[in-house]
Order: sequence, then C-alpha cells, then structure tokens
Amino acid sequence: MAEEDVIISKRISSSWSRWPIFGVLVLVALTIVYPLYFVIISSFRPNADYLQDPFGLPGVWSLENYASLINTYGVGQAFMNSMFVSITSVVCILILASLAGYALAKLPVPGKKQMTAIFVSVMLIPGPVLIIPIYLMLARLGLVNTFAGLILVYIATGLPFATFFLTLSFRGIPDEVIEAARIDGAGFFRIMWSIIVPMGSSGLATLAVLQFLGAWNELIFAFIVVTDPSMRLLTPTLASIGERFLTDQPLVSAGLFITASIPLLLLLFASKYIMQGLQVGVSR
Amino acid sequence: MGAASAAPTGGGPRRPGSFRRRDRIIGLLAVLPAFLVVVGFMAFPVAFALYISFTRTNGLTYEWRWFENYIALFNDPIVLQVFLNNITFLISVPLVIFIAVLVSVLLFERVRGWKFFRVIFFLPNVLSVAVIGLMFRNAFGFNGAVNQALGLFGVEPIQFFTNGTTAIAIIILAIVWSGFGIQSLLLLSGLTSINPAVFEAAAIDGAGWWKRLWYITLPNIRRVLGFVFIINVIYTFSALFGFVFVMTAGGPGFDTTTIDYLVYLRAFSATNLGSGAALAVLIFIFIGVLTVIQNRVFALGKED
Repeated sequence: MAEEDVIISKRISSSWSRWPIFGVLVLVALTIVYPLYFVIISSFRPNADYLQDPFGLPGVWSLENYASLINTYGVGQAFMNSMFVSITSVVCILILASLAGYALAKLPVPGKKQMTAIFVSVMLIPGPVLIIPIYLMLARLGLVNTFAGLILVYIATGLPFATFFLTLSFRGIPDEVIEAARIDGAGFFRIMWSIIVPMGSSGLATLAVLQFLGAWNELIFAFIVVTDPSMRLLTPTLASIGERFLTDQPLVSAGLFITASIPLLLLLFASKYIMQGLQVGVSR
Repeated sequence: MGAASAAPTGGGPRRPGSFRRRDRIIGLLAVLPAFLVVVGFMAFPVAFALYISFTRTNGLTYEWRWFENYIALFNDPIVLQVFLNNITFLISVPLVIFIAVLVSVLLFERVRGWKFFRVIFFLPNVLSVAVIGLMFRNAFGFNGAVNQALGLFGVEPIQFFTNGTTAIAIIILAIVWSGFGIQSLLLLSGLTSINPAVFEAAAIDGAGWWKRLWYITLPNIRRVLGFVFIINVIYTFSALFGFVFVMTAGGPGFDTTTIDYLVYLRAFSATNLGSGAALAVLIFIFIGVLTVIQNRVFALGKED
C-alpha cells in the first residue's frame, strides 16, 4: 500500500492540462456530496421554511425535527437498539472468527480444506434464499421478536467473510514468533491474546468496522425478525417514518441523517481501515 | 497439512507426536463454534428452503407436494412480469459500468487530491439502502428537491412514483448513484496492476490518450470488467429488496416489484410459504449459473 503510494506520488503532476480531469472529478464528487448536503441542511429547518426556499440556507435553524423524531416517534430508542445489536454482533463475530481464523491459518486442523471451502461457498448464498427458512427456524426456537434472534442472524451471515478475512490476515504473522512463544510455554489462549490479537490488530479493526456497518445498515432481517415497536431497530423505523411523512421532507431528512451519522463518522475517522477492507474484498 | 496428519506417531522433525495431536484437537475446537454457527444458520437454511419449496406449508404443517410450487410459478403471470421488471433493471448495469470506467480512468491520472476523491466516491457504500432509497424517494417526492427545482421553471410537480416507468427510472438512478463509486475503485485497483512499461511503450509509439484507453487500458482490465459486470447482474437479481421496499413497496401494482421482493411478499403475505421458497431456490440456481459463467470467464482470462 505505502509502496504503491510512493510510486503514484511521483506521477502526480500539476500541469495545466490536468485541470479538465480535475474538473470532471469534482463534478462527479458533487453528485455524491450535494444530495447529502441537501438532506443535512433540510433536516435543520421547519417544513414551512423548507417549502419557502428549499435550495437556500434555512431562514430558521431548528432542532425541532430531531426533537419530535426522538420524543414522539421513538427514534432515540431505535438508535440505542441498533447500537446494542450491532456492537454485540460485532463482538461475537470478532471472537468466533479470530478463533477460527487463527486455527485455520496456523494450526493443523483436520478437515481444514473442506471447512475453508464451506466458509467460502456460503458467502455466495443470495440473501433472499435465507429469509423464509431462517424466519421459520427462529420461530421454532422462540427467537422471533428478540434481539438474540437478530444477533444470531447477523453473526451467522457475517462469520463466513470474517473467518475468511482473518485467516488471510493472520497468515501474515510469522510462524517463528508463535513458535518462540510456544517454547516459552504459552498456551493457546495466551498466544491468541498476546501475539495474534496485537499483531493482527489492523485486520481486526478493519473487520470490526466493516461488520459494524453491515449490521447497522441491514434492513430485511431487522424488519422481519423484530416487530415489537419498542424493540424496532433504526433502519425499519426510518423506513416507516419515510412512508408516513411523505410531505414532511425535513422530518424524514432528520431521520436519514441520524441513521447515516454513525457510518459517516466511521468513514471520517476510520477510512484507512475501510479502504483496507476494500482491497480484500477485491481479492475475493 | 494433510501430509503432516498422515504420520501421527512419527511426528514432525522437531515435535513429538502427542504435541501435534493436541494442536489438532485445539485447532478443531477453535474452528468448531464458528463452523457450527455457519452450518446451522447458513448452510442448513438452504437445505431447509429446498425442502420447503417442495411442500405446501403455513410454517407449522408441511404437506409434501413435489413440484407443485414450481409448476405454479412457471404458470404465474405475476412471476413473468416481475422477471421482466428485473430485466428492465439490467439497464443500470451498463450505466454503472460506464460511469465507473470513466471515473476510474480519471482517478488513474492521479490528479491532485485523488485520495480525497477516493473517499468521496466510497461514501455511498457506507450508507444503508434504507437511507439511499429514502433520500431518492424524498428528492423525487411531490415537494421534493426535483419538483421544487422544476417549479422554478414553472413546471407543475410530477408524481414520479405513480407511474411504473418513472418509478423504475428513479430506482435505477439510485442503483447507479450508490454503485458507481465502489466499482470505480475496484477498476482502479485493476488499472494499478497493469505493468507501467506497457503504457511507456505505447507513449513512445506515439499513441494518443484515447488510443491508449481503447487499445491498452480497457483490454488490460477486461477481467475486472467481467467481474464487475457479473456482480452487477447478480445484484440486480438478488439485492434490490431494500430499494424497492423503501421507495415503492413494489407498486404501482407490481410495476416495480423485483424477484427478491416477490419472495418477501410471498413469504409474509401469502398463506403458502412453499411458493416463496421455490422462487428463492430459482434465484439461487440462476445466480449459481451466473457464478459458474463468471468463473469460466476468469479462467479464460488467466490463460492468455
């Protein structure tokens, strides 16, 4: 990565012939940034003010949309529910996938090839196939309308990629380091905790961000597994608000910004890790 | 690894056999939790879906009916209409790829700030389909930004979502908006792996920018292009649920219903879950075939 950047920076030129390229890129970037800007600005103004001059800056800045979403439509609770489900899922995925990834990368597991093949091939299962059987299984287990059921679904759907990803990134840890620790008498968990986790921390961070985004943004299972209004997650809550308030654009915009805020913050502060994940996504 | 385990008593060159055996047990125990969850909640559900698809069921009692659900699907005019909708949504594929190629080629020129652009183009990828879908529905809503802008020119507000054609066009726009960035980054990584000597040789031969693009750049990334193409087609047939759900709920009528949305409709608003499961199995087979084709294309690319 760093090496590639050095080569590239040599090729950066600031000659005038490059301005058209820069200009087109700015235009394309605006098509992404402007709609988001519009949503964010709209969310801070009352509907009447929006209708008067939608494209100008708000005449009145207000937080009333946010206040009514949180106080009246349960968005605050939904936010907390989403946070709880996403973090719990990510923690479980990281633990299970680290154990499996370490074993598949460094230990002589019997049937390793077959298990790796299963982890890789289930990644190809399209989402729609899982909806009906998983719903029926959760119903049979009494896990419909529980966070546990939804977390279980997120763990199961996240694990194949997570295991594959960590197996690849743990493979880069030198055998000699593990061997040396072992000669010093370190057991499995000791090696996991004091060698694999610190040395694979960059991969673990990337995976944590990607899996969190996956769980936070998920819509279908969040919608069908948890239906109790007080337990609703953020994305289904947002969808129903969007459906009910067709004519109140600023209110829906506030909901959009609340839902998008966490992913945007992650992109702002962890873009390095997200981009690393992209590289692996390609090799897949 | 298989060779090492074939000689348990002899052991490795340095390690006693019992140590090796303990490693194998520990390794197995470490993989097992993840493996069981994946088999139980990913692999088993596929088999279960296959079983359900051969039955008539309400989720509690199952009556084995062989191919009844499949035959009904093939004779169902709604399924045909919905499949044709999916074909219409394929319009998004060349659009996304065209813009992604354009952006990746421009990014490859490494103008000032290209790293910043990379993050911007990645942005839609971190957002939920619920957010993107609603953003587009808002923008094209009755008093949304688009109608407000048209209003400035004295145009009456347009009801974009009561007409199947415009509704599909807007969903396609959302697909393109959310997809081109990540794909341009995929193509960019393909471009960076081209040997720079190829470009230098072409520059020495006096090939212009367009010639280089057409005869060198694009042929050299045809494998990535093929990959992106298949991914888009698969996406069109299996992952539009979110957009359809928040933007149109499949309407008006079934005009914007896609095949994966129909699985959901059949599963949760019909009395026979078997029908939805059969449809899901058909999607699975269709996507499996596409994946095989994709692998063939990859293999061909590797040979030359």
